Amino acid sequence: MSTGLLYAAAGAMLFVLGATALILPLAPLRRVLGFNVMGSGAFLLLVGLAQRDGAADAVPQAMVLTGIVVSVAATALALAIIRRIAALERKAPADD
Amino acid sequence: MILAFDALLALGLVWCAWRALSVRDLTHAVVQFVVFGLLLALAWARLAAPDIALAEAAIGAGLTGALLLDSLRASNAGAAPSPSGADIAVPTSNLAGAVRLAVWAAAVVVGAALLLAIATLPPPLIDLRAQVAGALGASGVSHAVTAVLLNFRGYDTLLEVVVLLLALLGLLACRGEHDPVATAADAPAEPLARALSRRATPVLTLTAVYVLWAGTTQPGGAFQAAALLAATAVLLHITRIVPAWERLGFARRLGAAAGVLLFLGIAAALLAEGALLRYPPAYAGSLILLIESGLTVSLALILAALFLCQTETQ
Amino acid sequence: MTDGLADPLAWLVLLPLFWAVLAFIAGPGRGAGLALAGMLAQTGWALHLAGTLLVGGPREHAVGGWAAPLGIALAVDGLSALMLLLVQAVALLVLLYARGYYPRGSADGAYFWPLAGCLVGGMNALLVSADLFNLYVGLELIGLSAVSLVAASGDVQPLRAALRYLFATLLGSGAYLLGVALIYASYGSVSLSTLTPLIEAQPPLSVQLAAALMLAGLLLKTALFPLHYWLPPAHGGAPAPVSALLSALVVKASFYLILRLGLGLYAPLMDAAAALLAVLGAGAILWGSWQAFRSIRLKMLIAYSTVAQLGYLFLIFPLLDRPDALQAGLLHTTAHALAKAGMFTAAGVVVKATGSDLINGLSGAASRLPLTLFALALAGMTLMGLPPSAGFLAKWLLLGAAIDAGQWPLVLIILAGGLLAAVYVFRVLRQAFMPAQREGAIVHVSRRMQWLAFVLAAASVALGLRAVEFVQLLGVGWQQ
Repeated sequence: MSTGLLYAAAGAMLFVLGATALILPLAPLRRVLGFNVMGSGAFLLLVGLAQRDGAADAVPQAMVLTGIVVSVAATALALAIIRRIAALERKAPADD
Repeated sequence: MILAFDALLALGLVWCAWRALSVRDLTHAVVQFVVFGLLLALAWARLAAPDIALAEAAIGAGLTGALLLDSLRASNAGAAPSPSGADIAVPTSNLAGAVRLAVWAAAVVVGAALLLAIATLPPPLIDLRAQVAGALGASGVSHAVTAVLLNFRGYDTLLEVVVLLLALLGLLACRGEHDPVATAADAPAEPLARALSRRATPVLTLTAVYVLWAGTTQPGGAFQAAALLAATAVLLHITRIVPAWERLGFARRLGAAAGVLLFLGIAAALLAEGALLRYPPAYAGSLILLIESGLTVSLALILAALFLCQTETQ
Repeated sequence: MTDGLADPLAWLVLLPLFWAVLAFIAGPGRGAGLALAGMLAQTGWALHLAGTLLVGGPREHAVGGWAAPLGIALAVDGLSALMLLLVQAVALLVLLYARGYYPRGSADGAYFWPLAGCLVGGMNALLVSADLFNLYVGLELIGLSAVSLVAASGDVQPLRAALRYLFATLLGSGAYLLGVALIYASYGSVSLSTLTPLIEAQPPLSVQLAAALMLAGLLLKTALFPLHYWLPPAHGGAPAPVSALLSALVVKASFYLILRLGLGLYAPLMDAAAALLAVLGAGAILWGSWQAFRSIRLKMLIAYSTVAQLGYLFLIFPLLDRPDALQAGLLHTTAHALAKAGMFTAAGVVVKATGSDLINGLSGAASRLPLTLFALALAGMTLMGLPPSAGFLAKWLLLGAAIDAGQWPLVLIILAGGLLAAVYVFRVLRQAFMPAQREGAIVHVSRRMQWLAFVLAAASVALGLRAVEFVQLLGVGWQQ
């Protein structure tokens, strides 16, 4: 069991955990955490499996870098929307 | 022996993630998430991916963590006291409980399938490593990851920086223009913290420039440098030296967009060479450095703006 | 082969991104002129591209001069060219409409133009890409733009809908990304041209799992029943031009990707999924039509109609060995895009004029807004599948393929779907032709906006008369 495979397996579990948190009706902030964990899991799986024979592979590493930036973009957007909803509800408490 | 360390780290990762997703108190959860991010950076280092380790520590754990904590602070300030963390939906009916069970069951099935798939992977038919190594000489840089990111798969990077700008656009679009912006009228931050962050600023800025420059031959590059600069701005904001940005004036908008525009422009101009983003071999290195410099400035502004443009409501 | 500086493939992606960034720099509320000029140019490029395809066959573009699998390849065949034309044409008309919808200097629509540019750029990027990871970035670009456009409304309900949409779209792209990771692990490449010959009938578990994950993620993004829960609040709660873009184009982008992967990379694996997709499609038609009929608000009705109409697209999967099934699917995609854009823009006119979104408040609309009602009726014709609309032609082709294949349940569903659509369309029209209840003031809505809604709806009907060229273009580069 090489390093790559080990972290890939961890990545698989992280993906499933994160996706579950995203699907279940939890607090929005929790689901944002879930989405980030899910993404990290997918990245670990990508690089871990590509490097399962031990040598570093630049292509999946570059893909993960791209993915991290996309993740932070999505997180920032999600948090902005969540904040805005909270601010609007403070102004006019909704009764739904 | 090393494998034991990796096994422990992997277990620690899953444990931290589990805690972050299940702990009742949201602040505690976010802190767990930051720890998860730092462990993840270690894991990337173990996977011979120092560029990712840097980016994960700075962007994934650092900036994301700061954004999350700031959001928590904003929603807690003035919110009606709610049972903290009582967000795990209590099944109000058998149906809701059954749905949750179904989701968990599906999760277990998918997880098991993934592990099985990992165990039965065929040997890959194509090895891009050799191709990357072969083309590295003509790429203009000597660090493989930078070559892939800015040259071989530079088109992905082009789209991705637009995605980041898009996040800023979305943030600006959904925030209220009419909300009052809090002035820094709260109690000033600790003088020690302010002094420290003032001292740290030039050091951090210099480090960022170095990381950008070094990215052509070693791990580093535009994203890590931008994250460092943005973190500096956030630090200055937290210690009340830099106020929040109520509006994004023309200068800041131009700064945020300039790097993206430069990248788009170079990509278009290079069409004359026969293909999108096709660098002439003699100028590849300089063009890549030019693009990376522009990106560093713009991405730093965008990342900082994601933090500093959040409207504060009292 | 490329045309150097004038390559339409590259410009279709670069140009919208250019004007989006410039619109952002120009400031909130600005950028409409740039956007429209850009869209006009892009429509020209798309037509030019279609023309070169008809003459010279499918085109490719190796980005950076690096051939796949090291670099990213772009490729356009008849399918992509058609979709590109559809996206540019519909977006152009909707953006023209939006210029009237968002008065200059108003707070709503402050960021519409740069966001629309990112959306169109993302869609174009998706349509020309032949690289699995690049497709992922394109999907995220589209998803985040769409969510931001919905969230830009500013009220609590659309914001909640936007958040739900965001979580759904992130789950979808996450699953897709995991699939890409498995494919790279199995073969060592993410280039479609390199991978397609490598996948055979009994691939290893990793590939099957990858296919399932990618399909599931894309189905969530295409809102196929029962994964459609996010669509009605988002499409029904957004401003009219945004709803038009979302229902007409955004959901079609992920459907295009399902087609592209199902017909190319994962073709040997599709038999297993085809039956399931058809069943879910049937469910979508039934459930969506029922919910549309029950809707109280006009835009929610139209949104549920989208859920129902998307079901038709998935009925083609068991029939894909026949060429007319694919033609039917594409024709339906195009017809629905035009009709739905027409319906939402018309609904926007009605809402602006009467101030109300309730169907019961539509009384008197026929006499006060005749052009707009005509647009709604024409769009309804396409949805119901009445001749000579393109909707009719699509259903006709699909029925032919289904009867040929002996798939009688499909035949029944297709016929039933038309009837169900008639039920909710007539509900709207009937209410509109009733005399006005009270003399409410009608706000004047620009004639241009009304005409644009009409043009879109009429195009969906007129397309039925020009289907020959359509089919010809589709046939380019199609390997069966």
